[in-house]
Amino acid sequence: MTDGPVYWNPVLETYPLEKIRVLQLKKFNKIFQWAYDNSKFHRKLYHEAGVGPDDIRTLEDIQTIPKVDKSAMQDIQRKDPFPYGDALCVPLEEVTEYRQTSGTTGQPVYQPDTWQDWEWWSESWAYLLWAQGYRPHDRVFIPFGYNVFVAFWAGHYGAEKIGCEVVPGGVLDTRARILKIQELNATAMMGTPTYILGMADTAVNEMNLDPSQLTISKITCAGEPGASIPSTKRRIEEAWGAKVYDHAGATEIGAWSYECLEQPGGMHVNEALFLVEIEDIETGEIIEKPGRRGKMIITAFDRQAQPCIRFDSKDIIEWDANSCSCGRTFRLIKDGVVGRADDITKVKGVLFAPSAVEDVVRGLDGLGNEYELQIDTVDNREQITLQVELMPESETRRETIEAELGDQLRLKTNLRYDLKFRKYGELPRYQVKANRFKDNRNNL
Amino acid sequence: MSDSQFNLEEIDRLIQSMKKAAKTAAEQAESFPAVKKNVDRILASIKMLEINISDIITLDDE
Repeated sequence: MTDGPVYWNPVLETYPLEKIRVLQLKKFNKIFQWAYDNSKFHRKLYHEAGVGPDDIRTLEDIQTIPKVDKSAMQDIQRKDPFPYGDALCVPLEEVTEYRQTSGTTGQPVYQPDTWQDWEWWSESWAYLLWAQGYRPHDRVFIPFGYNVFVAFWAGHYGAEKIGCEVVPGGVLDTRARILKIQELNATAMMGTPTYILGMADTAVNEMNLDPSQLTISKITCAGEPGASIPSTKRRIEEAWGAKVYDHAGATEIGAWSYECLEQPGGMHVNEALFLVEIEDIETGEIIEKPGRRGKMIITAFDRQAQPCIRFDSKDIIEWDANSCSCGRTFRLIKDGVVGRADDITKVKGVLFAPSAVEDVVRGLDGLGNEYELQIDTVDNREQITLQVELMPESETRRETIEAELGDQLRLKTNLRYDLKFRKYGELPRYQVKANRFKDNRNNL
Repeated sequence: MSDSQFNLEEIDRLIQSMKKAAKTAAEQAESFPAVKKNVDRILASIKMLEINISDIITLDDE
């Protein structure tokens, strides 16, 4: 239960979907015109594709507009206007914020924002935080390094916009952050699932402190899939005695989706600020109806400095057939972001998504939170190896756990694994985002 | 929840007059950084109001 209005924007968040779709077409045309008029990169891209602003009369027409992906942005940047290149739509002196992507998949993409774009970032976070029950009486602790990655910067400003008291937890190490939460009776926090679980681990194993006895009652998780994986969500909620809500966003896109208080098993797309299309990975057709997964192509309607128009995010999602009991007409994506198109691969002829493994590992009592997954070619055959940590108190049940693990993995993924059990603490611990999946098949 | 609970047209009218007032202030203080830069921030916030309210009004007009 929360106090005050249920929705950040009571009109837009409950607008009939058919009206939202009309709004989306109108706003798409505006941002398309803006990019066409102000970005050499976009104008050239559209001119070569033979499309222009007058060609978009229906939402279906939008599918004729060429997509942009991370590699296209990497190619045009590090040039004048430096370092953003031809996609910059405003004079350089109007850029007030620099951020970049994490670079885990190669050269980082630089992201400029004007002050208006930055306000828009905090506005998009205000939608999601309000939906997750954040209110002015909350004291929000942000255990984040406040660096060149956008991460939780906009979460900080979104919480401020709502009227929360925000405690910046940068520079402090994990122990100091836990102590600060305890000292100040913080009621909410934000982090990646990996880090939030790691904090709980540190509290229990290094500080003899039970995080569920602290005052945190809600946690927003973002930055990687996890909070929509049922067993990961359960582990975090049990560890902290708090409700955990998922959010998906990206540096190049914005804060495009959020789980609400109802925890419906998915996330609402903020359809007032973003247009989400789902593209079949194999055929390229746009999937309109629920029930089929595909790759997200997304447009941010109001981002000006470096527009995000039909950005190929590589996130795998599907529409949910059900509406949410919260009353929002913003559609749900079922189970959140279920994986990355670049992670989904065929192994032994079977389509494989690493997130399915996480749900199994974290759903089994007796296994630690960490795991490592890799695919190798051994004697011309594909081999998939899963390393897990056996909790010390479960060592006598190892055989049972191993059998259960193998069975569950076979059921969920249709594959057999080379299972390796490690002692608790032996596997890598990731600070922020995890990189647990390695596909070594193309490494020679 | 219907938009009839809120007088969106009236709110939008006020938003547009705030915008006009801010722009007028900036025009009258072109070489006054304290005014110019603070007006820039006000206009950015007004844009958020337009996203939340004005965009719906103009939709209903069509």
